[in-house]
Amino acid sequence: MALIEIRNLTKTFGSGPAAVTALDDVSLDIEAGEIFGVIGLSGAGKSTLVRCINLLERPSSGSVVVSGADMTRLSARELREARRNIGMIFQGFNLLMQRTALENVRFPLELSHVPKAEADERARSLLRTVGLEGREGAYPSQLSGGMKQRVAIARALAPNPKVLLCDEATSALDPKTTESILELLKELNRSLGVTVVVITHEMRVVERICSRVAIIAESRIAEEGSVEEVFLHPRTEAAKRLVLPSRSGKLEGFSESEGAGSIDECRGELIRLAFDGSTTDRPVIADMILSCGAPVSIVYADTRSIEGRLYGHTVLQLPGDADTAEKMKRWLRDQQISFTKEAQ
Amino acid sequence: MDWEQILPLVPQALWESFYMVAATTFFAYVIGLPLGLILVVTAKDGIHPMRTFNMVLGAVVNFLRSVPFILLLFFLNPFTRLVMGTTVGSVATIVPLTISAFPFVARMVESSAKEVDRGVIEASLSMGASNWQIITKVLLPEAKPGLINGAALSATTILGYSAMASINGGGGLGAIAINYGHYRSDYAVEFVMIVVIVLFVQVIQELGTRGSRLSDRRIK
Ligand SMILES: Nc1ncnc2c1ncn2[C@@H]1O[C@H](COP(=O)(O)OP(=O)(O)OP(=O)(O)O)[C@@H](O)[C@H]1O
Ligand SMILES: [Mg+2]
Repeated sequence: MALIEIRNLTKTFGSGPAAVTALDDVSLDIEAGEIFGVIGLSGAGKSTLVRCINLLERPSSGSVVVSGADMTRLSARELREARRNIGMIFQGFNLLMQRTALENVRFPLELSHVPKAEADERARSLLRTVGLEGREGAYPSQLSGGMKQRVAIARALAPNPKVLLCDEATSALDPKTTESILELLKELNRSLGVTVVVITHEMRVVERICSRVAIIAESRIAEEGSVEEVFLHPRTEAAKRLVLPSRSGKLEGFSESEGAGSIDECRGELIRLAFDGSTTDRPVIADMILSCGAPVSIVYADTRSIEGRLYGHTVLQLPGDADTAEKMKRWLRDQQISFTKEAQ
Repeated sequence: MDWEQILPLVPQALWESFYMVAATTFFAYVIGLPLGLILVVTAKDGIHPMRTFNMVLGAVVNFLRSVPFILLLFFLNPFTRLVMGTTVGSVATIVPLTISAFPFVARMVESSAKEVDRGVIEASLSMGASNWQIITKVLLPEAKPGLINGAALSATTILGYSAMASINGGGGLGAIAINYGHYRSDYAVEFVMIVVIVLFVQVIQELGTRGSRLSDRRIK
């Protein structure tokens, strides 16, 4: 049984003609110990989905089962108890501004009447875990965004929850700080075994830490699977739109004069190279050009190097000369780089 | 002008004004603070929305706040006599002062508590806080700087009302200004008492501003 089981979850805001369906028949399983990503465009229903997990938003229909208990059927008191098992962090940190870092982390323990000395002890040790030793007495206004999110993480983890929900937790942070927060989440997932649910609109966040991902589009789950599978071989239209830049493989917005066509030799076919991590991070295209002795035009590239391996897509326009194009394709096959023909 | 006659009265009047303001502020908060919090909690976007109740309570508070103080003062005379045995004197005046001030205080508290970030309340709910815990551990402490400012503003308003009340037999600084200044057409006395009252207001205001700033951890 999965740690979080979402079944036929529907959430409608308002009623009558003004009603907005934020979630439409969503079902998902999130396993204990994994880092699960939910990605989608703005307004897709991501926040509503996480907020339905801890019932900050009450589902209109369907069920949300967390560690065996159906959240929608709990009494107010039972729900408060259950929420202590589900930590949550937010884009805006949501720290208590009149409390120090230590007092913030102690807050959830105060709520469940943990003796002060014990709560202080735990808060101190958590602040150490998130790398804020020595800043216990600082107020949120004295901390940077990244530090505030660390305090928020420590606070969410204080009651020792099974799940940590992250709603755009890095969206207000710069890339470098984002990186360090994601690293921390990954580390906490490993060391504490806490299941992490990451809501984001950024691909790189999912790529960086998630093992599985669900793509949410227009209030529905469009696709779900391992990050590699979904990002490299998106099946649905919605997933492709999010993962691939050019809709269903067609290239838009490139006119003859400004795009690929401007180089005479490169009026040949378009191919899409998919890097799934089996290629080491090296200048593949440059190598190909050098060994085949002809230029290609890079129509689109979105590749990333993760731990020395290459992930992503590149669309090339091969030379018009069929022999050279054939030579290049042979070279790619030799290098075991998979590619598909791209519709013009 | 008879300064020898008036000056000795000033310390006593100052004290009377002080305790009228202090006692009224205290009682107005005893009623107004819970009322203001109830208005926030039961609001549409509050932690325990109660639509109709909130509307009715809001309307009552607005009604009371709209009655001009001077009219309320006279209108309440029978009630004041019932409670205090008299309508004359600084102690008796605390009754109409409190009744006119608590709706003001309720709105003051409401507006301070409304300033608390919705996200912080949601975070607390996500940690399993009860509504009571949200009120005592989130709304009140987080709104503290605003509440202190509001208390100072309430106290200065009450001081103003207390001066008005001397027309109905109340004591304090206002009474000297009216009885010795206005009725005897002694502008010097009136003017001096105005200055004293203004200084008093300034002191309260300054205390409020400083207290609020010192307690606020968002700056610094
Ligand atoms: N409290 C609410 N009342 C009415 N409509 C709402 C409410 N909350 C969300 N919605 C609507 O539900 C839809 C989904 O919103 P949601 O916040 O879940 O999107 P999101 O994917 O998190 O977007 P973003 O990336 O902008 O945060 C939107 O159309 C939004 O306007
Ligand atoms: Mg959102």
